[in-house]
Amino acid sequence: MTELSDELLVAYVDGQLARKQTRAIDKVLEQDDVLDARVTALKHAHARLEAAFEAILAGEEAEISEVALPPREDGFWVPWRTFKIAAASVGIVAALALAALGYGWPLSLPGLGSASQIEMSVTPEPPARP
Amino acid sequence: MNPSGGEHSVQANDFHDSVRPGLVAMLPRLKRFADVLAGGREEGRGLLSRALQYMMAEQHLYQRGTALDVWAFTEVYRQWRHELSGHADPMAQAKVDDAHFGELFLLEDDGYRDEPVIAFLVGLPPQQRLTLLLVYGDGFEHEDAARILDVPPETIAARLVRMSAALTDRLSERPAAQAASIVETLYPEGHRASP
Repeated sequence: MTELSDELLVAYVDGQLARKQTRAIDKVLEQDDVLDARVTALKHAHARLEAAFEAILAGEEAEISEVALPPREDGFWVPWRTFKIAAASVGIVAALALAALGYGWPLSLPGLGSASQIEMSVTPEPPARP
Repeated sequence: MNPSGGEHSVQANDFHDSVRPGLVAMLPRLKRFADVLAGGREEGRGLLSRALQYMMAEQHLYQRGTALDVWAFTEVYRQWRHELSGHADPMAQAKVDDAHFGELFLLEDDGYRDEPVIAFLVGLPPQQRLTLLLVYGDGFEHEDAARILDVPPETIAARLVRMSAALTDRLSERPAAQAASIVETLYPEGHRASP
């Protein structure tokens, strides 16, 4: 069995190695089932990490689009694409206008959290940092 | 009046006007970063709100040639460290609530949630969680992840090796790797006090 460190294998899996090194490891993996299984396990772990982070991002996108897009009322119809563009434009413009006027960022707008939480979390002045 | 100076000023304004729409476009990614850093949706919302407020007030600090996402992620991380530095026990303050952190992960259509991976992430120090997120979640190069977290690129590579090995062993039910024995502080390696 060939000895290759996890350091080298993770760099290989992440595509951080030079082409020559990658080819050399490709050859080793063809001959060594144990190392090949380790590389497969590393790739599997990375894929599950990526999926977990994707699951968080899906939640963030859903949360933000809920704020940007109000529920549609019965009896009033506009084309969906027009509605999306208009709603997004109004949301962004309103958010930036409020931010410019010192009312905080869109995430602190009503509907995304309770007023008391927002007051607790947003400082009146931009925090001074070194 | 210097006409070229006026033109330069207009260009600078245009340049900084591009910061706001750029930040709006990356809000979901920034929110995920803040949530993973702070350990929950509510905590992340407050952190991101304060960081964005700072960024909008100090957007002139954003320099041409710097990727906007690298700058924005860096500012969120700096905001977190700035706020922690005001606490008497920053390490305790940085600990996350398991339930809050678990709620970050949206259930998939079939109701599946990868509990072993979530349990692994919740047990990591914030900087290590963020390293995984920046590289495997956001696809940053090691150098950019290092810039955001204010550490050398070698530290990013070392963290990835330790955590990849530890997670792989855990998922494969092999004996635990030695990653957990390595202690990280809340501050960059260069700022550590000498033993």
